[in-house]
Amino acid sequence: MGIIQRFSTQFKEILHDSELLLILAKRDISVRYKQTYLGISWAIVRPVLTMLVFLFAFKNVAKIQDLSGYPIQLVIFSGILFWNLFSTTFQSVSNSILTNGNLISKVYFPRLIICLSSTAVSLVDFFVGLIVYLILTFALGHSISIHIIFLPIALILTLLSSLGFGILFASFSVKYRDLLQLIPLVVQYGFFVTPIVYTSQSLIDSKWFIYYSIINPLAGLVEFFRFGLIVDYRLFNINILLISIGSTLFIFLLSLFVFHRREDSFVDHL
Amino acid sequence: MQVISVTSVSKKYKVYKNPGPVSLKNGIQEIFNNKTKQEFLAINDVSFSLNSGDKLGIVGNNGAGKSTLLKILSRITKPTTGTISVQGKVASLLEVGTGFHPELTGRENIFLNGAILGMKKNEITAQFDEIVDFAGEQIIRFLDTPVKRYSSGMYVRLGFAIAAHLNPEILIIDEVLAVGDADFQKKSLGKMKEVASREKTILFVSHNLTAVANLCNKTLHLEKGKVKDFGDTGKILTSYMAALQNNVFEHQYDKPENAPGNDLIRLKYAKLSPILQEDQTYWDIRHPFKIEFEFWNLGNTQNLNISLHVFASTGECIFNVGTESIACKYGLIRANLEVPGNYLNDGNYVVSFMIVKDKSIILYNFEEVFNFEIADFREDTTWYGKWPGYVRPSFSFPMEQISETI
Repeated sequence: MGIIQRFSTQFKEILHDSELLLILAKRDISVRYKQTYLGISWAIVRPVLTMLVFLFAFKNVAKIQDLSGYPIQLVIFSGILFWNLFSTTFQSVSNSILTNGNLISKVYFPRLIICLSSTAVSLVDFFVGLIVYLILTFALGHSISIHIIFLPIALILTLLSSLGFGILFASFSVKYRDLLQLIPLVVQYGFFVTPIVYTSQSLIDSKWFIYYSIINPLAGLVEFFRFGLIVDYRLFNINILLISIGSTLFIFLLSLFVFHRREDSFVDHL
Repeated sequence: MQVISVTSVSKKYKVYKNPGPVSLKNGIQEIFNNKTKQEFLAINDVSFSLNSGDKLGIVGNNGAGKSTLLKILSRITKPTTGTISVQGKVASLLEVGTGFHPELTGRENIFLNGAILGMKKNEITAQFDEIVDFAGEQIIRFLDTPVKRYSSGMYVRLGFAIAAHLNPEILIIDEVLAVGDADFQKKSLGKMKEVASREKTILFVSHNLTAVANLCNKTLHLEKGKVKDFGDTGKILTSYMAALQNNVFEHQYDKPENAPGNDLIRLKYAKLSPILQEDQTYWDIRHPFKIEFEFWNLGNTQNLNISLHVFASTGECIFNVGTESIACKYGLIRANLEVPGNYLNDGNYVVSFMIVKDKSIILYNFEEVFNFEIADFREDTTWYGKWPGYVRPSFSFPMEQISETI
């Protein structure tokens, strides 16, 4: 069977079991904040606190008033919103096969469903955070950019990249548990090497930034994301974005391929 | 119509021998040194096929590969070599309550577990009341409580109730019958029988041979990953049970010096053997059995009798019978005992006997001389749980209608 054909059978199987996908997603969401007092409000508390910490560091310690001419709160908050979406999706997808090991070793269903359904919680958190972002924008006296129509595309690209990296990690970490130790490091260092709490202005003219965008497609994606959220955001560069999209799609397709090659052996290593 | 065909399927696992402490050094060594890996065939060249409507029982000792075979058939794991082909919608029940989330309520878990087992949402909704009813009234009261607050019995009942309402073409079941209290087992086995009577293909692993005998028309006997036997249930179970059961027990000693006993008494010969009905190869509750003894009396003439005890494996004495006391001279003495059929229940028993002088002084106690097992036998039943009691008499117990008015 050709690879395309195999992918299409798998895709059909996933569609057929879409109810399972939804109910697993629902499970993760309803379990997430069980037995907490703040419940879903935690999705607000976390990005807000992170932003306050950086505001304190930039404004009071480093005496920086804006970032590349854009309102510092919005740059940081949009960056954090983006990063939280990427990192929580990446982490839950990476761990998904192992945390659902009991299901995988007892019932057959397309394994990719587990990876796909574990993006649900981060998506809910993201939308809650987005509402907070919009409120913050108005509270600071700014308006919403017309470019917000690009936000869904940015969102899909971000999901694809986090799924890509996550599925790659998930595929290998079942057998090589060492990778689990690496996940928090990727998240921690990725935060700093990607323009999350700064902008790409100082990097964009460097020659190596193009190559860097291939390895780290998030650098281009986060600026595209801000382009959709901040009025007159000019640090977005179409060439860099195209490189990021290419790199994201490559990683995503590679991850599907790798996952497909390895999924049959998951049970033997759980 | 053939719905399942398995052709020379093998499953190989790598066994890591002596991995030592987890360290970078060992990890690197392992990459370059393949000799630490040993291969192990959990399933070895298994082939068989089933037609639509067949009920297959899979029997075998622990580690024979039964569960691995079920995992391969339910597509959870791939065979290393060989092919399987399964036609139709498959549901596999390898455990009760797969995927139950402790934080979710009973109600939410019914939908979750149902979806995991392959039910559509509308199927679950349609059968929701039936499922809850089947699980019992206790569940009804706690339907909106997280299942982590459930007792283990409630958890299992809810899990089984969902599974019992699955409606696939092929059902794969692993030992799920061994759950819950006696009452619930009865109910779930009844349900199983009802399901089995429909035109449905069932593959069923169990150590409960009574259930296999009653539910399945075909049986697969696995031994060390290989097919030992495959065919009609009656034939396979008979040979399986005969192989499983050791039904002649004999101790024989040539000379008093080597025999157990003391200066006064030595055992020469002891034999326990069931009197099997014709074409029976294993010992079940219907069969009588004989015990024969010979012992040497090394003392002078003395009044001796044998007192024989039969104990249940849990230690309770089931009965104690004695011979009459006779005057025995120096030499060899023999005794025979026959225990009727339909007397002891199925289970494991231990026989001990003592030689008693003058009806009061124990000269020697031969402990645990025989350790035997009696298999169960039932006809036309829907109840496959353990039959209670130590004895299993078949007393005449007539019942009749005496009037049709009240």
